[in-house]
Amino acid sequence: MKTLKVFAGLFVLVWVSMGQVSGAGAGALLQDLENQLMCKCDDKCGKVLINCTCATSDKTRAKFSKMLESGLTVEQIVKMQVDEYGETILSAPTKFGFNLTAWMTPFVALVAGGFGVRKVLQAWVGKKTGSGSEETPVAEPKISEKYSKRLKDELDGIEL
Amino acid sequence: MNDIGEFTLLVALATALYGCVAYVMSARGNRIDLYLSADKTPFIVWACIAISSICLWKAFLTDDFSLQYVWAYSNRELDTFYKVSSFWGGQKGSLLFWTLLLSTYMLVVYFQNRSKNLRVVPYAMAIMLAILVFFLFLINFSTNPFERIPLPPEDGRGLNPLLQNYWMVIHPPTLYLGYVGFTVPFAFAVAALISKNLDDGWIRMTRKWTLISWFFLCMGNLFGASWAYVELGWGGYWAWDPVENAAFMPLLIATAFLHSVMIQEKKDMMKVWNMSLILLTFAMTIFGTFITRSGLIQSVHTFDEATLGYYFLAFLFVIIVACVALIISRLPLLKSANELDSFLSRESSFLFNNLVLLGIAFATFWGTIFPIISEAVRGVKITVGPPFYNQVNVPIGLALLALIGIGPVIAWRRATLSNLKKNFLKPLIAAIVAAVVLYPFIPLGSRTEIYTYTTFVLCVFVLASIGTEFYKGTVSRMGLHEESVVGALATVTWRNKRRYGGYIVHIGVVLIFAGIAGSQAYGTHTEKHLQPGESFEIRGYTIKYEKLIAVEATNIKTRIIAQLAVERDGRRYWTGHPEKEFYKGQNQPVSEVDVLSTWKEDLYMILADFREDESATIKVYVNPMVSWMWTGGWIIAFGTMISMWPDRLEQRRRLDRVRKQEQLFPAPAQE
Repeated sequence: MKTLKVFAGLFVLVWVSMGQVSGAGAGALLQDLENQLMCKCDDKCGKVLINCTCATSDKTRAKFSKMLESGLTVEQIVKMQVDEYGETILSAPTKFGFNLTAWMTPFVALVAGGFGVRKVLQAWVGKKTGSGSEETPVAEPKISEKYSKRLKDELDGIEL
Repeated sequence: MNDIGEFTLLVALATALYGCVAYVMSARGNRIDLYLSADKTPFIVWACIAISSICLWKAFLTDDFSLQYVWAYSNRELDTFYKVSSFWGGQKGSLLFWTLLLSTYMLVVYFQNRSKNLRVVPYAMAIMLAILVFFLFLINFSTNPFERIPLPPEDGRGLNPLLQNYWMVIHPPTLYLGYVGFTVPFAFAVAALISKNLDDGWIRMTRKWTLISWFFLCMGNLFGASWAYVELGWGGYWAWDPVENAAFMPLLIATAFLHSVMIQEKKDMMKVWNMSLILLTFAMTIFGTFITRSGLIQSVHTFDEATLGYYFLAFLFVIIVACVALIISRLPLLKSANELDSFLSRESSFLFNNLVLLGIAFATFWGTIFPIISEAVRGVKITVGPPFYNQVNVPIGLALLALIGIGPVIAWRRATLSNLKKNFLKPLIAAIVAAVVLYPFIPLGSRTEIYTYTTFVLCVFVLASIGTEFYKGTVSRMGLHEESVVGALATVTWRNKRRYGGYIVHIGVVLIFAGIAGSQAYGTHTEKHLQPGESFEIRGYTIKYEKLIAVEATNIKTRIIAQLAVERDGRRYWTGHPEKEFYKGQNQPVSEVDVLSTWKEDLYMILADFREDESATIKVYVNPMVSWMWTGGWIIAFGTMISMWPDRLEQRRRLDRVRKQEQLFPAPAQE
């Protein structure tokens, strides 16, 4: 039994160590930056920088590559862009102040909806069980357990 | 011809207005003379709109630049194929196209139902005619496609090069067929409310219309993604653009409706909810047209002359207020027994499925309108782009995926512990095995990668649960009849088309989930500036830039093509030809990508730039599992076709049920 436990432990250890962790290289940093910012081309294309293929976006990418190579972090570059163009340059709302409502509202609505559904279900289930209890109990015919189980299994599988 | 086109539009408006009023008056006053008169209007309206559309098409095909719309969206050099599709290339034509589709749907409904339910159908026709009146009013008095230019120019401005793609002929009509199609169930729902016929009759009458519209909307979304993938040249297929969102939201709500109506059909419950869902679906289709035509929200899809926002906003307001008032006034009639045997049942899982679908729809809606809210509250217009939608919608989407797996295996009425154990054991074991097997091969360094891993595991769970259902059905069929596995599987599917067709649709959805997850998490790309003969490597492919080819395709179009040899294991594997197309009078060239698509991954090539010395900048993406999404789309199409196929057995079963009900609850004797 002890040997079995050791083998099981070893297996879990090997299995966990087999998991891969991806690293973030320079390309990934640029990609991250491109994801966070909108393209500011003259056509007002309204695309996230990573999705834009216009000439302005190519120049912006080259500029950002150089900035990253010079040692600036993604956060610093993003801040510089926001200072220059305002919040509209960001591809998503910030996570503080009024903008937080953008992030919170969908989940708040979902949780509230979840409670609502639960309440509705409880009421519906309660109605059914409640109506049953009011009726005069009828003596159930004795059915052998074997047939009762079979009936239950078949009822479970029935498509109404 | 143009005069005829313009005149028939006016006649269509007048006739639609008359038909709408006459249908309502005939129904309210039981006036057969008015009904017979009104009953001719659907065909007249359709014929007028069809003639008008033919006139506009003729103007495009004969290069009649005396029409401002033809001048703006066509030119002499434009391929005939695109001259046909230029019809819906701009706002004016797209509205006429919408009207043409709506009148055609109305005509089919008219022929299908004119001798049926005379209490509901006249109101449904009146609603459809009223909606047509709104569109025809806009076309006649605000955005007329037959507007003339006093001195016609020699040539037109031409169609936007981005729209000169074969998807332009397929994607907008498919999407419009979906959008417009929801008018039919909406009209019947409102008609049922007005006429107080609030059993499931309107659902049965429009079930196939709902399915068809859902199918077209689903395919329209997928075709749009496919178009963006091959035309926009950024390696992706979905950008969470407001107009993309506008097409996605009604799809989600309609999906919720398709599931919850099953509960009404089976248990006569959730009448108010189903009414609300179909009204919301229709409202969302109008919201989509509002976004495209208002210019209020920035989008790449917005029409140049987006000036109709206020009309659509007013229309939307009227629809919502009228429908809410109608539902409230009919609440006593919409009351149903609403009883459930157990909290753990398929009915409950459908309710949660509705919640999650509406949750995604709401998050998408919220993200779409948040820039307006922010501007109104803070005076700062912000952008809500893909990072927001991905962070908010992905976790909710995973819950939805899990529910797709739970739905088929949880029992109707009451799921007992033994039943749960029996039904869930195999799918759960399959999911655990998948989790263990995939773990060593899948990186888990970022949130995206963790989501992707979870998606794959859930996909296996869902496929196993659907597989279990097919297996159970096939085995029980084989036990009762001496049939082969394939024969039994086919018979089981054919005899329960709606149920198994639905499962097949779910398989397609699973493939789409897997495709999205794989392509989002494990894609890679690189960009190199190369001289002819130089090469670089990406994910085991060697890409060798061979030469640049210039082709004068037409008088206005020049193609610059890069020839790229793709080698794998030292052998030539494929030759790619990404290109840039230059159109006279257009500032930006258009990228035409070249894609080598396999089940494993797409090798996606773009000619990003080139110079006079024939050097070129080549961008290559390796996008895993993208083809899974397109395959998923075709599987959805197949499953929908099976679900919609006429089912005599189901009709017989329904008749039996009705007879039994009549025996149990005999109709009151006539006095």
